[in-house]
Amino acid sequence: MDATDKGEIHIAGVNKVFGQGASAFHALTGIDLTIATGEFFTLLGPSGCGKTTLLRVIAGFEQPTSGSLRINGAEMAGLGPNRRPVNTVFQSYALFPHMTVAQNIGFGLKMLGKSRSEIEATTSDMLRLVRMEALAERRPSEISGGQQQRVALARALAPRPRVLLLDEPLSALDLKLRKEMQSELKRLQTETGITFVFVTHDQEEALTMSDRIAVMSAGRILQLGAPTDIYNAPVNRFVADFIGETNFLVLPVAQTGGAVARLTLPGGNCAEARLPEGMTPVTGTTVTAVIRPEQAAIVAPETGDLTARVESAVFFGTDTHLHLTLADGQPFVLRRQNRPDQQPPEPGAMLGLSLASGALRVLED
Amino acid sequence: MRGPLIRGNGWKWLLCAPALTVLLLAASGPLLIVLVYSFLSPGNMGGVVWEFSTEGWFRVFFRRDIFEPDLVTLNHAHLTVFWRSIWLSFQTTLICALLGFPTAWFIATRPPNTRTVWLFLITIPFWTNLLIRTFAIQEVIRNNGTINTVLLRLGVIDSPIQMMFTDFAVLLGMAYVFLPLMVLPLYAAMDKMDFRLVEAGYDLYASRLMVLWHVILPQVKPGFIAGSILVFIPAIGAYVTPRVLGGGRTMMLGNLIALQFGQGRNWPLGAALAMLMLIVVVGALIVYLRALGRMEGERRG
Repeated sequence: MDATDKGEIHIAGVNKVFGQGASAFHALTGIDLTIATGEFFTLLGPSGCGKTTLLRVIAGFEQPTSGSLRINGAEMAGLGPNRRPVNTVFQSYALFPHMTVAQNIGFGLKMLGKSRSEIEATTSDMLRLVRMEALAERRPSEISGGQQQRVALARALAPRPRVLLLDEPLSALDLKLRKEMQSELKRLQTETGITFVFVTHDQEEALTMSDRIAVMSAGRILQLGAPTDIYNAPVNRFVADFIGETNFLVLPVAQTGGAVARLTLPGGNCAEARLPEGMTPVTGTTVTAVIRPEQAAIVAPETGDLTARVESAVFFGTDTHLHLTLADGQPFVLRRQNRPDQQPPEPGAMLGLSLASGALRVLED
Repeated sequence: MRGPLIRGNGWKWLLCAPALTVLLLAASGPLLIVLVYSFLSPGNMGGVVWEFSTEGWFRVFFRRDIFEPDLVTLNHAHLTVFWRSIWLSFQTTLICALLGFPTAWFIATRPPNTRTVWLFLITIPFWTNLLIRTFAIQEVIRNNGTINTVLLRLGVIDSPIQMMFTDFAVLLGMAYVFLPLMVLPLYAAMDKMDFRLVEAGYDLYASRLMVLWHVILPQVKPGFIAGSILVFIPAIGAYVTPRVLGGGRTMMLGNLIALQFGQGRNWPLGAALAMLMLIVVVGALIVYLRALGRMEGERRG
């Protein structure tokens, strides 16, 4: 077995261009990706970044302009969606309105030419899996959005695909239902062991559900990695900004050495910041450093790394966001967990900030 | 709940009175007159004599021997015309459906801004007088018309093919005239159709044919129903097309009725034929809709 056989999906050098000449739109540029069997893989990016196009290329609705796509070792070029071991959960669910819930779920099996008894058995298994047994004879128009969502899932899972593609399946649901479905999806993925490729623009959804995330922008994959890697070590400004909240600080370099640099903080103190691989900034120049809002703690004024003035405090329930101004005027957002015995600082108050070690990172330009 | 509401609006329906009057006079009135006429006796110079008679209805189905009025035989001429009208109208509907589906599909799958142009092209024939369009067809298929001239010149045939005054000519003419009536409702149904369902069908291992059968056709069924009704009903009463292209030999119901009110000078018979046509159309509609309902039931079951 060579390395390429271990993965479920192999994408190599895939480009997708819509239109021609001057009006050509490069939806995907140089996508290389290997998705492992049984992985919960997420394509994350803002709308128009190409994540849905990539999903459609995997499903077979779009043919790539160039590059190769292999699923379970087999080349997929020229195969239509009906000849790929892949099923899709559509954003709009796309349930057949003229069929009952049970008929919808059984449709794929029927098209595969399975026997009536096998279709019935699998359909009732699927109905149980998504807890929809009671509504099997309803039409899609007679059930709620969340129920339609579960039917769409069951319909796509019924033929036992090797890969399940999910195109923003939760975006039409309200917050509470979305949370429920997130854990439901995770449960289904663990129970079935099917490879999930999940498309979303919701970074929180991506962080909580995925084994690995590919952050996309303008048709390219910017960063590929586990949620913690992407959150803690964003490779560039776009990823840092898109995933979670981030403070960007422009700071002069005081000293460099190996993988870290000492940066001069507003107020004169110095702090160590990790450098991205291969970057050695010149002492005296300025770099952009990032730090997450929860990775700084409030200490007594003049005792921490930084001194900041409180501009406003926004209450978020579990925590409070403090909007601060540093000594040189740069803004800084601090997230502090709420406790009943603590009052948020008044606007105008001066605070000391202590940065968690390793929290400050320099970004590539 | 409903009581006070109705009492409160008790007289408001009178506002509909002008519309109701027009409907009553323009739609039900003439129909009633025809019904009454079908039970009267024919006048010598046309018109009716106010004398109750079932002779009109009798003559729809039977004929009396000229010399022996008691010798009654089936009126084969009338029955043939009836059968031909139903059969030709059915075929016309079928041809329109077969041609209309790909046409409507073609239009519905164009980019939105060019769809209007295609729809416009489909509706252009409506702007031309029906008679002129029918004579145009005649020009194409008559013995020294376009098709025969070309085929003769090319040496494909030695003598012209007789197309005029045949059922084929009537069928061709009607299919041409009524095609837009099938295309437009089909297009409307396809326009409303969710094309993502087609993708979902492909995704679930359906071949193109299976997607057409299991996903597209059930979605556009309302268009087919509306189109079939719009084509079948005017086809069964068609007058101009069978008159111009079918001549006297391939008469349809419309022509037979017109004949009774004209040269035939037998208004009660004409009126009875007209009423019968109404019954046939309504009956066909009921059978058609029932059959569709049954299919739906089987699908559900």
